[in-house]
Amino acid sequence: MKVTYRWLKEFVDFSETPDELAELLTEAGLEVEEVTPLVQPFSGIIVGKVEQVQKHPNADKLSVCQVRTDKGTFQVICGAPNVKEGQFVPFAAVGAELPIGMKIKRAKIRGVESLGMICSKEELGLETHSEGIWAFDRELPLGKDVYELLEADQDWVFDIAVTPNRGDCLSVYGIAREVAALTGNKLKPLNSEVEESLETKIDEIVKIHIHDPEGCPRYAARVIRDVKISPSPDWMQRKLEAVGLRPINNIVDITNYVLVELGHPLHAFDLRQIEGSEIHVRSSEAGDRFVTLDDKERLLPENTVMICDAAKPVAIGGIMGGQNSEVSGQTKDVLLESAYFKPERIAMSSKKLGLSTDASQRFERGADPENVIRALNRAAALMAELAGAKIAKGICDVYPSPLKEKEIPFKADKINRLLGTRFSEELIKEKLTSIQLKVNEGKVIVPTFRHDLSIAEDLAEEVARLVNYSNLPAKDFTTIFYDMPQSDHEKRIQYLRTELLALGLQEIFCQSMVKYEEAEPFAESAPIRIKNPVSDDMACMRPSLFSGMLKAVSYNLNRNNRDLRFFEIGRIFTSFDRENIPTQPYAVAAVITGRRDLPNWNVPEEFVDFYDIKGYLETFLQKLFLDNYKIILYDNARYMAAGESVAVRIDDEIVGVCGRLNPEVCGIFDIERAVYGFELNVDQLQKYMIFDRQFQPIPKFPYSERDIAFLLDEDILAADVVEYVRKNGGSLLKSVEIFDVYQGENIPEGKRSLGLRLRYQSTERTLSDQEVDKYFQQIINKTTKHFSASLRK
Amino acid sequence: MNTIIDKIRSEFHREANAIKDLKDLEPLRVKFLGRKGLLSTSFDRISELPKEQRPLFGKALNELKKELENEYQNLIKQFKAKEEQKRKLDLTLPGRRPFIGGKHPLLIVADEIKDIFRSLGFSIEDGPEIENDFFNFEALNIPKTHPARDMQDTLYVTDDILLRTHTSPVQIRVMQRQKPPIQMIAPGRVYRRDTPDASHSPFFHQVEGLVVDEGITFADLKGIIQAFAHRMFGEDVKVRFRPSFFPFTEPSAEYDFSCVFCKGRGCRVCKNTGWMEISGAGMVHPNVFKAAGIDPETYTGYAFGMGIDRIAMIKYNINDIRIFFENDVRFLNQF
Ligand SMILES: [Zn+2]
Repeated sequence: MKVTYRWLKEFVDFSETPDELAELLTEAGLEVEEVTPLVQPFSGIIVGKVEQVQKHPNADKLSVCQVRTDKGTFQVICGAPNVKEGQFVPFAAVGAELPIGMKIKRAKIRGVESLGMICSKEELGLETHSEGIWAFDRELPLGKDVYELLEADQDWVFDIAVTPNRGDCLSVYGIAREVAALTGNKLKPLNSEVEESLETKIDEIVKIHIHDPEGCPRYAARVIRDVKISPSPDWMQRKLEAVGLRPINNIVDITNYVLVELGHPLHAFDLRQIEGSEIHVRSSEAGDRFVTLDDKERLLPENTVMICDAAKPVAIGGIMGGQNSEVSGQTKDVLLESAYFKPERIAMSSKKLGLSTDASQRFERGADPENVIRALNRAAALMAELAGAKIAKGICDVYPSPLKEKEIPFKADKINRLLGTRFSEELIKEKLTSIQLKVNEGKVIVPTFRHDLSIAEDLAEEVARLVNYSNLPAKDFTTIFYDMPQSDHEKRIQYLRTELLALGLQEIFCQSMVKYEEAEPFAESAPIRIKNPVSDDMACMRPSLFSGMLKAVSYNLNRNNRDLRFFEIGRIFTSFDRENIPTQPYAVAAVITGRRDLPNWNVPEEFVDFYDIKGYLETFLQKLFLDNYKIILYDNARYMAAGESVAVRIDDEIVGVCGRLNPEVCGIFDIERAVYGFELNVDQLQKYMIFDRQFQPIPKFPYSERDIAFLLDEDILAADVVEYVRKNGGSLLKSVEIFDVYQGENIPEGKRSLGLRLRYQSTERTLSDQEVDKYFQQIINKTTKHFSASLRK
Repeated sequence: MNTIIDKIRSEFHREANAIKDLKDLEPLRVKFLGRKGLLSTSFDRISELPKEQRPLFGKALNELKKELENEYQNLIKQFKAKEEQKRKLDLTLPGRRPFIGGKHPLLIVADEIKDIFRSLGFSIEDGPEIENDFFNFEALNIPKTHPARDMQDTLYVTDDILLRTHTSPVQIRVMQRQKPPIQMIAPGRVYRRDTPDASHSPFFHQVEGLVVDEGITFADLKGIIQAFAHRMFGEDVKVRFRPSFFPFTEPSAEYDFSCVFCKGRGCRVCKNTGWMEISGAGMVHPNVFKAAGIDPETYTGYAFGMGIDRIAMIKYNINDIRIFFENDVRFLNQF
């Protein structure tokens, strides 16, 4: 909302400077975002007198003028047709700089010397377009600074961010009311006297019927005859321009002027276009269409308040007029509408139409039903004054059930209890009355312009902001109790993070909204789509952390950051039945690509592969206090590369995958390199993480190790052999490690050598060599037999 | 006889003197002291001598063997010492460095905020990012026709399911399952239908705070925000409260911190106001209590929000929010 300092002064006498006023308003909840002077200050332009005007010898349209100032007479070439001898004009001498950024230089124009410039208003930044130079309307002292002359009339535009609850402040008068309360001055009443110069009564001209009193509780109108459509006067144009409105013609400008001044939207119809001279206010039905005055045909939402004549709709009530009845250059008689529409109805229609106007914004936030007549009269009076119009007798005012002022019980202690203050009843009363609330017999009566006040809490805010929030007490913080346990969830997430950081991975924080193509490969069925996405790049919710992480990988690779080890913990968005909110579990994922080691003078350059990511996964899982997880061969995730991916299974649940990302999927992200990663579902994993562990004593007795290399068919999986040995190696076998895998020279075709290191240990005694050898030999025999293996010599 | 002994000895010395490298010592050992070396073969030839000379020769040979073995061991020591000197490290060469990870700057700040509130006795709560209309709007006193519900601002999945626009729905979820007193924060990701630019991202991060008990006042709210400001940005930071409007609080406030860059004197960052807008707060609206099943006659409470991204931008003097989500390692490595 834009208002000007001087416009406010029309309604309140206050002495605060523009900056002081801005601070007062901001601290009272009307945040002043900017204060800009209407005239941008300039200097070096002085008053001169045109002594002589002669035709330029070489150009028809130019004149050679002699301009006298206090410093002498200067010859100036001027192109304006309106320059005349005897005029007092703003003069820019050589060296002066115009506010529009132009520096005056000594020049020769078509062979004649020019030593300055006579300025137009446009050149001084005072209007957007000038026809000629600016000639002052009176004699002025020569050499007087022109900006100083204007400064007396300087005005400031306040750009105020009005919160949605304060519809009453969407007008100069509304803000003036606040200024009056804040500065302790009186608010002047509005002048809304009208001279009804026609004998004809309005009732003899038009009839108004409200068929939808719920949507339109009040509808009033005046008839104005013989309007002369013309541009509105200068002062009005300037005020409208200052607050950001474009002047159109006197009738439209007057309705806009009253809108800004009073905050009440009006609409002017060309009376000739109103068939039957009847107005019917009714609600629209499904499928109704209407052409608004911006030439657009619109499909009307059902239950939209429509203003109709005897035959057709002529306006969307409170939102926009119709093309079929708008005021034009030919308009003679005007039907001026002033109504009050129900905020919820306007909001609904405006939203569904996707049409938000100055009018709809006011009605939506709640106009004042008591302003209906004031606004109507103010506009009619202006039309009589500025458009030579004659006004029919009376007002047609249909207001079947007047809206009542709200009443709130007055409880000073409740206000104090909420604010933590000890304000006296008198102080509270004084503050409330200063904004035109009435306090009577234990009740606060709220005027109809304050739709936002309905409970004691609302009054507490009014008192608080009028006292100024800075003057409210602040209590030193003391915690009220609390023995609130940290949630297990938070603890676990932090634990996972710590372990991943310990593994040397970099934490990243990725987008959760991704392109459809970036989501689709990871979704079990279809990714969750956003109905009204910001852009196609953010059309779906990520079904996997990989969606965002591969984007981050791609971003870095494109910038030559080539060795990447990332992890992320965040929500992913999986199954969705469209009825209930989707499952959105936390997941943890890592991706790696590039060199295995940081480049160095004595480290050979090698690149990460499957076993690197598997190593990360194994180390990570080891730290998660899981009892029975298994890494199994798994080719069911289509976003993982076939033959290069495994899964983590706990009980019968797959909790995550690990391996190489499918190169085709990487291609979607423009990644050509091999990327490896794992992703685990934290919500599933959580169930199996058991933090309450008993300490296991460190074995007191030494262990014995035995190595053996089996020659096996190459198809036999290492994990199967290890598993078999572990299961059948007896109770003293503590661990089985693979220390060597070999194929090639000395190994027959189709075979593979698998070297195992078996560790035996007892918690009770030192094992003898003979005993260990015995168990060792037994398991060798069993294994060779079970896998049809032989021993590698 | 002695000539043989002397010959072997002098040959050994000659060859030993010629040795330049540790690895050439082994052939020397093999030649003289090995199983088929000169000394062994000499022993073998004892039988060729007349009987009376044999013991003497044997003794001499044994002495020679001891002597040469001794010398051989000394040679090894000498060469090893030399080798050691040769292999001295160039300590100026760079070490082999492991990959090292790090926390994301936004999460560092989130941790810091959580730690501050944890130390003030707040629990940390969590809630879904895709929410029901009820929790995101209806229960927060934002009815269907409210301007804040503009399609412009909210990202929808269905008519009734949306991406939460604030962390406030967590308030409702907590109040529904827990009786007062409540003292919680809820950090998390929120979404708005904003076109990305330097100061806007369609998703960002908030911390919601809620305290509900008997006798909680606006003065408590001012106190907690002040306590937070001091712990986050230092004791000299001032806090300013201005009236504002949120449907879910009454009275509502906007709060600002004095600019940490210019200490409130006015600079480019604070647009010469001396203040940095942080976020909103207020006393919980009775309608919110009703929606969450808490009696507004018995309890009062306050709620506040703050932007994690905004605080991180202030803390690290970052002027483009998008840099957080690009995850460029050259940025991340700085933290
Ligand atoms: Zn500053």
